[in-house]
Amino acid sequence: MKLKEGSFLWYLYLDKIYCLLSVRNVKALVEYFHLLDVHHNNTLNDVLFYHFLHHVTNLKRRQIMIVFNMLDWNAMGEIAFDQFYMLVCILLAQQNHLEEQFIFRHSRPVFELLDLDGEMKIGPENFHMYNFLFNIKKQELRELYSDFDITGDCRLNYKEFKLFTIFTMDKYQEMKKAQKEKEKEREDSA
Amino acid sequence: MEENTFKELAKSSGRHDSSKSDSHEDIRNLWSMATLSQPKLNVQRSNVSEYSELDGSSLGSKTGEWYNQRAGYNSDGGWKEWDNREADVDLKPEEMDDDTLLELELHPIGSLESHLEEEEDDARTEIEISSSMPSLSVLKHIPHHRAYWVEQQNRLPLPLKELMENEALEILTKALKSYRSEIGRDHFLTKQLQRYIEGLKRRRNKRLHVSVY
Repeated sequence: MKLKEGSFLWYLYLDKIYCLLSVRNVKALVEYFHLLDVHHNNTLNDVLFYHFLHHVTNLKRRQIMIVFNMLDWNAMGEIAFDQFYMLVCILLAQQNHLEEQFIFRHSRPVFELLDLDGEMKIGPENFHMYNFLFNIKKQELRELYSDFDITGDCRLNYKEFKLFTIFTMDKYQEMKKAQKEKEKEREDSA
Repeated sequence: MEENTFKELAKSSGRHDSSKSDSHEDIRNLWSMATLSQPKLNVQRSNVSEYSELDGSSLGSKTGEWYNQRAGYNSDGGWKEWDNREADVDLKPEEMDDDTLLELELHPIGSLESHLEEEEDDARTEIEISSSMPSLSVLKHIPHHRAYWVEQQNRLPLPLKELMENEALEILTKALKSYRSEIGRDHFLTKQLQRYIEGLKRRRNKRLHVSVY
């Protein structure tokens, strides 16, 4: 997924540690949302949502509708600002390659979004369906279920999912650290 | 008070213009990259609260006062009081507890809500003219906290507002085509959308017209 360069979302800045927007950024986003809310219901319907996401990203129609259904978990046919804000943070996290950080910081809402049927458990098919949003690779997915499915029912409950996010975060930080050390070595040798 | 604001605007038009031309280089310069997770933030909380309140509590009157105050500092030949305040500043984010950080970040919300509620379309067009001015005039005097102080301004920079409206217009125009093909031209939702788009276009033209003069 790529954000359209020069679009409004492209100018928003996602905090790299907390994976949240600042109040000023959120205020701007509220104004943007209200501009799109043509029917004054404080929501976006599927048509408006599709055109918005189609305009600002390179997501395909099928993917956009998957995202819509994920956010519209209570099947109202509309997206409110809360969900819109969540989506924008997910898009910005992916744009900035902060998916691991994002899932770690917001593990509860992400878990609830992935838990489509509300059983408080998520199967591999849910991860697979949304891997274009969270960028979870097939190999990682296999590891995830073999290492963290402690109850052995091929589905992750929240505690197992939380463990996974902590593990991935550790891995991510180690990778960053190794990268920094390599860069430092290069600088020293140069 | 709005008149005063515009008088001040006129007086300082030279500076405003130069600032404005800078802002067009890259809109992102108007946004802060300094966030709570970055160690550069070292502004005393009391200062932040004081100035964000002054700036944000009401767009019409307070903005004028705020700007006049700033202009006063300038004409007095310096920013002594500001400099004194800055000398006291030494609170780094890692020294703040979570609650303090949260409070610091959430502080402008009250003013935000009132701002959203009270704005009318016409008034908005007029106010936006000066939207990027005070923040940019302050920037010159606060080199160390430039990004943070931009963040503290409660209004959107004008180029961003324009960008937002233009983008919304593009999206809604495409949506209108879908409405027409899916639910028909005479459906009340289609008509509502069409009226809304026309309204947005009128507002944009009005602003363009105002900015020319």
